[in-house]
Amino acid sequence: MRFTSRPKMNYMPGTASLIEDIDKKHLVLLRDGRTLIGFLRSIDQFANLVLQQTVERIHVGKRYGDIPRGIFIVRGENVVLLGEIDLEKESDTSLQQVCIEDILEEQRLQQQSRQEAEKTKHLALKERGLVMPRSDIMDEYGVQHQY
Amino acid sequence: MTSPFSNSQYPIYLHLLLLLRFSSLDEDCTLEKEEGLVEEEDEIDQFNDDTFGDGAIDDDWQEEHKRLAELEERKNDGLGGLGLGGLGMGGMGGGDSSTVQLPPPASREGGGGDLAESLAMLILGADPAIASVGGPAGSGDRSTGLPPPPSMPQQHHHPSQLPSHHQLTPSGLPPGPLHPSLLSYQQHQHLLRRGGAPMQQMNSHNIWENNMGFGPVSVTPGLITQMEDSPLMSIIKEVGLPNRPPPVMSEDGRDFSERAPPPRSSSPVIGSPPVRAVPIGTPPKQPMSHIHHPTTVHVRAPVHHQHRYPPSFPERISPNTLLNMANSPLCRPPFPAGVGPVLSQIQRAQMLNSQVAGFPRGCQGPPLLPGGGGFRPFFGQPPPHRMGPHHNHVPCPIIRHNTTHLHPQHRRMLTQRMQSRGGYRGGRVGDWRSRDPYSNLMTQREKEWVAKIQMMQLQSTDPYLDDYYYQNYFEKMEKRQERDRDGVRKEHTTKLITPQVAKLEHTYRPVQFAGSLGKLTVSSVNNPRKMIDTVVTSRTDDEEKREKQVWNKRRQILYTVEKMYSLLLEVQDFEKRFMQTPEEQRETLLEQHKTHTLQLYASLKEKEWDDRVSDEQCLLIMSVRKGKRLISRLIPFLPPLQAATVVMGIARNLHALAKKDKQDQALCWLVEPVAVVISSLSSAALTDLLQELQGSEGQLSKVLQNKFGVTLLYLILSEGERMQSSDLNCQLMDDNRWTELVFSVTRELLNVPPSSLSPPLFTPPNLLSLFSRYVDRQRLELLQEKLQISALSR
Repeated sequence: MRFTSRPKMNYMPGTASLIEDIDKKHLVLLRDGRTLIGFLRSIDQFANLVLQQTVERIHVGKRYGDIPRGIFIVRGENVVLLGEIDLEKESDTSLQQVCIEDILEEQRLQQQSRQEAEKTKHLALKERGLVMPRSDIMDEYGVQHQY
Repeated sequence: MTSPFSNSQYPIYLHLLLLLRFSSLDEDCTLEKEEGLVEEEDEIDQFNDDTFGDGAIDDDWQEEHKRLAELEERKNDGLGGLGLGGLGMGGMGGGDSSTVQLPPPASREGGGGDLAESLAMLILGADPAIASVGGPAGSGDRSTGLPPPPSMPQQHHHPSQLPSHHQLTPSGLPPGPLHPSLLSYQQHQHLLRRGGAPMQQMNSHNIWENNMGFGPVSVTPGLITQMEDSPLMSIIKEVGLPNRPPPVMSEDGRDFSERAPPPRSSSPVIGSPPVRAVPIGTPPKQPMSHIHHPTTVHVRAPVHHQHRYPPSFPERISPNTLLNMANSPLCRPPFPAGVGPVLSQIQRAQMLNSQVAGFPRGCQGPPLLPGGGGFRPFFGQPPPHRMGPHHNHVPCPIIRHNTTHLHPQHRRMLTQRMQSRGGYRGGRVGDWRSRDPYSNLMTQREKEWVAKIQMMQLQSTDPYLDDYYYQNYFEKMEKRQERDRDGVRKEHTTKLITPQVAKLEHTYRPVQFAGSLGKLTVSSVNNPRKMIDTVVTSRTDDEEKREKQVWNKRRQILYTVEKMYSLLLEVQDFEKRFMQTPEEQRETLLEQHKTHTLQLYASLKEKEWDDRVSDEQCLLIMSVRKGKRLISRLIPFLPPLQAATVVMGIARNLHALAKKDKQDQALCWLVEPVAVVISSLSSAALTDLLQELQGSEGQLSKVLQNKFGVTLLYLILSEGERMQSSDLNCQLMDDNRWTELVFSVTRELLNVPPSSLSPPLFTPPNLLSLFSRYVDRQRLELLQEKLQISALSR
């Protein structure tokens, strides 16, 4: 019994639609900076996505680590972009995969260094009289806390 | 004996539990009770929360159970504590044999309880792992007679070597490890009915866990989500999984099972939440899935079940063949049911496993997992379909799209592009797709539905308005192509037919009942409630201009009048002020007063002539009510000559004014001052006045329509009469003018229809004598009648 190939159903010619992307592996970038990789299983008119076998990939420098997450339902408005992953080309990448603990550690370090840089910058500016609002230490009432 | 049955609060399974227990005591009762129970069950609402849902679970039950269990233990040693424990259908406890609460065979040998233990043996023994635990006892008991469950649909393709009457396992169940929760709903029901309660003897694992230890993937829910289109799966989805089999007490009375959430019911049956109307955002329902009535659950499933299972199933199926069987329909394009996934990893793994390990005691069957219990319906689906009429191979890619909204040029480009791409991609993709167990979660219908929504947004009644650049771009492209082709192939140049969607009338018109004040409005998302019902009357520019002009003019008149009023008021107040001011300043005040008066007059009179009031001005001012009032107040303050001219002017223009004054009759204010003026007029002036009043042809009739006009006329006439009667040397008769005028007046008065003759404010008494001078008796009488001049008023 031979496999009959699924005919290509062209739903929205000339337009952008996610229908063609269903059941394919995608990389989704979210607004909070996370990167998800998973099989796009379902969509709706708001581009809410259902990702299956999702893996959250954390990139630090040239290394990355995967955290398996299972099934994700992403609200469409939180997606920055998404793109299909070519399964053949997926493996040839210069990035090096490490285990999760390592990458998390690296990420933490990276965050830390960033924060420190930010702090010093902020301090320097403050000395010069320019106070920039820092979103990370500001609460919802616009009050900046620095402990 | 009676207590458990009489108390309807008890869940069904408890009944069965107890039934089985007591059956050992009393064989005769068994069947009867079963039947009785069965009947009862028919009446019971399957979706009833009390029976199967939240209401079913209450603490008393546990205690009661405990109590009874203890009772039982004391009574039946033979059964061994919780012989029912052994009735569990066995988890898929491959490795968990220790938790299998099988009563030691030895204890079984004792008393009756045939049904119970044989069931246990049968079911447990079916599982190779468990059976091994059960040991000789298990196999030994196999041969004991069991009342075959006649109502159970015979398991045709069960190559099990269990004796036929042992096929208590419900249809669709592999003899492999049976997981009650994975039984189809129907199967479960059957089990319950037959009294072969598949008591799940629960170990500490969650029922949802895959006890085969195939990793974290939970089979059941996953599979269930996959197989969305089999009616059974859809049933399960609708109804929720069937209630968990009753938790079975172990020997020490602990309850190992976890409480499952009650089955979610969505039927309109009483006691369950109502079926909600489908909100806008929900995708279309699966084609075969809608269940409204509980009984259909039972009816439908078996029907479909029967069809689906192929008559025979090879003992060993290679993964490939299995894949093939399951997969081929997947690739059919317009496959209505949207075949679910092929095989989960577990199943594949198990297949391999089984193949490798072989089946002990030849217990074969499709090497499906317990997950296959639920999986089976799906599985059954592909084969018949495969063999059936679905040989519609689609040689070329189906381009099913709605491109009406696209520019024809665009459409052409797209088809070209797709054709070039289509062949290349097809083969490889299909291959990969077939291996994906979770593919096609989104059915064709759902995809189309989403596409439809997106298409709707593209509809346009005015493409040039909505997407100007798109249209232009393709037009230019077309032109360019034409130029490039150099017009060789003329037939390709298509006229631009921009598809346009007909603009549908979507406005909601609220219902209004005749005679009611308001409108009955139903507001919705598409028709938000109107707070104020404003009706926009659109006017054309000309109309607007005209209206504006009219208003401007009016405003101007009013302005003039008001200015005059201020002067007038000063004039009026003069006397008071005169009294108040000291002597010295009185002169100046007087002067002031005079100037004012003159000013007033000046505003009325003609530019050049001093003795004639400007008609325009007069008309303008008099057209406004305020103006009329003004004049009436003004006249007394004017010097007599000027006043006379004013009155002349009024008389002259009265015919025009009369028309405007129809509604108001504000001219009547003028009567008094005018009367005063008239009385001071000379005869010549009077004649002139009368003449003015008459004016041109037809003027008098218009005047007569107005109350003031009539009154004025009478005033004039009476004055004339007074003059004549009082002063014998009246110059009135000197020229014939007066006479003639009076004649014409009388003529007019006679001719005018009575309806258009307005009654005067008052009728001077001497009119009759006047008329009697000029007209003959007959006419006099007529006049009298008409004007209602009584003879007595002489």
